[in-house]
Amino acid sequence: MSYKIAVIGDRGTTTGMALAGATYTHVHAKRDETLAKLKEFLTSDEIGLVLVTHRVAEELGFDFRLMMRTKRLLPMVLRIPDKTGYVPGVDELRETIKRTVGAEIVVKKEG
Amino acid sequence: MATALGVSPNRMEVMKLKKRLGLAQRGHDLLKEKMDALVIEFLEVFRKIQDFRTKALKQLSTAHRALTNCFAVMGTLETTQAARETKRELQIEISTRYLMGISIPAVEFGGAQRNALTRGYSLHTTSSVLDEAAMEFERALGLLVELAEAEAVALAIIRELEKAKRRVNALEYILIPKLKEALKFILMRLDEMERENFTRLKRIKAILEERR
Repeated sequence: MSYKIAVIGDRGTTTGMALAGATYTHVHAKRDETLAKLKEFLTSDEIGLVLVTHRVAEELGFDFRLMMRTKRLLPMVLRIPDKTGYVPGVDELRETIKRTVGAEIVVKKEG
Repeated sequence: MATALGVSPNRMEVMKLKKRLGLAQRGHDLLKEKMDALVIEFLEVFRKIQDFRTKALKQLSTAHRALTNCFAVMGTLETTQAARETKRELQIEISTRYLMGISIPAVEFGGAQRNALTRGYSLHTTSSVLDEAAMEFERALGLLVELAEAEAVALAIIRELEKAKRRVNALEYILIPKLKEALKFILMRLDEMERENFTRLKRIKAILEERR
């Protein structure tokens, strides 16, 4: 099956992704609107990938995390940095690993 | 005591319990093996993610720089206008495959690269900086799709791992000890009954002997 790509973020990110060919874009302005849009993207059957900027994800906070936990396998959701390169200090994936595998933290060694 | 454990002390129950205990132990071992396999799989994916992430983020920041440049040269309005005119029909092929019984997405994506003529905005009113920005973003998007796939796989594995762990713990710390305790209780009780019976018989024999 082929799927489309959706983007939620600031104007810069959405413009750039639109130039690259992402089908749906939403510029984040109000929290409620963005949440509704995100819900719409997540329940859509033709969207395979939703890109959300870290900043927006953080602003949505708990609701975003809840949606991530309850969503289906598709669409995939990926958080990306916006034009300021903002990435939160805590790595979500690492956090999850810590929670599941126990106190173990995976450290990658070069070579 | 017997009612507390919910079993009645007889041989039938012993057999049943032994069967259950064996099954639980086997399930526990299997689940543990599954967990190990999942962890190995996960480590591989995790390494891949780190790789993809550094690459994708680097490309994305390059893309953002190109776009900022474009905003500056062409103007914000014109750039967003061009983005609106762009053909936005990028398709990614996603199928699901199975890994240790969990479904994970498998993405097939040939890359988003297009040339300036097929993008759909008017070449006449736009600058070459826009082409540059679009190209960089297409490249970034390609990398991001790869990263998204890897992260989705990792997430699926983690979820399964969590489930498996929960089950292993439930078996290891609750079900198996409970069964073992019940089994021990029944065996003790049966032994006790045998001893009781033995003394009873002795006593009866003594009484009978006295009467004679």
